[in-house]
Amino acid sequence: MHTLKENYQLVLAFATVLAMPLFMQSGLLAAEVLIFAMAVLGCNLLLGFTGLLSFGQGIFFGMGSYALGIMLVKLNMPLILVLPLTILVGVVSAVFVGWFSIRQRSVYFVLLTLAFAQMFYFLAYTMTDLTGGDNGLLGVPRPPLSVFGIELLPLESSWQFYSFVATCFLLVFWFLQRITTSVFGRTLLAIRDNEIRAGAVGYDVRGFKLAVFAISGGVTALAGGLLAMMAGIAPLSSIEYHTSEMILVMTIIGGTSNLFASLLGAGFYVLSADWLSSIWPRWLLLLGVLLMLISLYMQQGLWGVLEKLWHAVHRRRRREPAISATESEQQS
Amino acid sequence: MNVYLLQVVNGVGIGMLYFLLAVGLSIIFGLLRFVNFAHGAFYLLGAYFCFQAIKWGLSFWLALILVPLIIGAAGWAIERIVLRRVYDKAHEFHILITVGLALIIQEAVILVWGPLGENVPPPDILQGIVMWGNFVYPKYRLFVIAFTAVFALLLWWLLEGTRLGSAVRAGSESTEMVSLLGINVMRIFGLTFGLGAATAALAGVLAAPIRGAEPFMGLEAIAIAFVIVVVGGMGSFSGALVGGLLIGIVQSLMSTLWPEGARLMIYVAMGAVLLLRPHGLLGRG
Repeated sequence: MHTLKENYQLVLAFATVLAMPLFMQSGLLAAEVLIFAMAVLGCNLLLGFTGLLSFGQGIFFGMGSYALGIMLVKLNMPLILVLPLTILVGVVSAVFVGWFSIRQRSVYFVLLTLAFAQMFYFLAYTMTDLTGGDNGLLGVPRPPLSVFGIELLPLESSWQFYSFVATCFLLVFWFLQRITTSVFGRTLLAIRDNEIRAGAVGYDVRGFKLAVFAISGGVTALAGGLLAMMAGIAPLSSIEYHTSEMILVMTIIGGTSNLFASLLGAGFYVLSADWLSSIWPRWLLLLGVLLMLISLYMQQGLWGVLEKLWHAVHRRRRREPAISATESEQQS
Repeated sequence: MNVYLLQVVNGVGIGMLYFLLAVGLSIIFGLLRFVNFAHGAFYLLGAYFCFQAIKWGLSFWLALILVPLIIGAAGWAIERIVLRRVYDKAHEFHILITVGLALIIQEAVILVWGPLGENVPPPDILQGIVMWGNFVYPKYRLFVIAFTAVFALLLWWLLEGTRLGSAVRAGSESTEMVSLLGINVMRIFGLTFGLGAATAALAGVLAAPIRGAEPFMGLEAIAIAFVIVVVGGMGSFSGALVGGLLIGIVQSLMSTLWPEGARLMIYVAMGAVLLLRPHGLLGRG
């Protein structure tokens, strides 16, 4: 029982991954939900667990798309090698961007990540030999996942690809849950709650921020790579400012208090975008209204709404106090 | 050699427009401490209102005065009615609400005027070119340089020479202290946001005859404005001026030397400034 309580978010995520094929017709749409959920997890790790508002997640997403695309299309490398290298590219670019950005705090940090997002966009736009420029990098294949010639999983059909993405997603989810519940994660919360105090206690605040930035970059790059495999193209739009904004918006719609909220936010955004854009091309207007409503009335996001409903139903249940960083510090 | 001189003058012209765009963003940031993503949307509205005014047969000159006033008033009202409610919330919601506002304005513009761009003719008196010996230059662009220079002086006087300006500058240092002195900070917040919106709209009106009006010009503009604010230093009037001119000239010169990389060089320039001066050229640490 104890472990279930600790891992209920992972269980929820697992249940969602299993349930999606039952309710959805399109395997690719389901895969898209999980891919963006993965990118949102990376953003949530920064915003919800460290207090870093990054407008540059599109950099790592796009770098992932291009890295995977280039390795598969131009270098013909095996997928099993390409995946970790894609993550590595994300980590390296995140360390680069982070090294400049995390020297600044709050709004200046936001502006810097945004400016870097533009810089990488124009870099991709200019280097047409590698990226295909405006047309994007075309013909990204979906080779089977194999080790030493033994085929583990073909990725031809959309549901085969879904199961591959689902495995990656759950691994990332599990990894991030381990991180956020570790001492490292608790330190991040301490930095989020009071950066100056955390520094005064003796933590290397910048080091921690850079490390979490690197993790986030790696996760986001993997998501970007998977999207390129799904779409068969690494488009220029994947590194655009718009992607950064979209990932951030999904993160906030879902809520930043826990990891499962990220899946909620990505699912809500991807599915309603898929549905709304087919009936009304100006659906972004509704998104704008939703963003304003969230800012005004529901800062906890969809997760917060669900939580309120849950508590309304189980009114007699005593609400457990949220574990904050200061409490866990006192305990240790 | 002449080509480069021409490009520098061009750069000054672009740079003055950039300055107009960035200065409002910078002042709003300095006082209200958030990044206003709706800033580009006010610029966009400025250009479309100018187009509409001329379509209705009003003169460009009337639009030049009226449009910034209307959008400034709208900005003031939005701050009072909506934005004010999120100041006590977490920082990301200050930003998110302006992102939402920008989306609403952009999509509304497409609903009203359609997804394609519109051309805006410069007023008759400013059509054509001027010639001084070898030097040939469009009249309208010269007008933009002169007009923004005068406007910059006015704005500088407003910020440095008036009571409102001192309250804005003092508020950038410490909002708490200013309110302790008995000044209604909320009133200043509203006026500053309105002033920012008005300057963005003015930039939109002035840019319309040069580049037309199209629904995504706001996004493009705000990206540039962010770079200028980062380069010049946040919350600084002179930073916006220096940053705007620098970026304008770099972009303009590079478009002769290396056209494909002109936009990229803007960001390289930004990176260089950040390496040497992390808080921007004229920002305080």
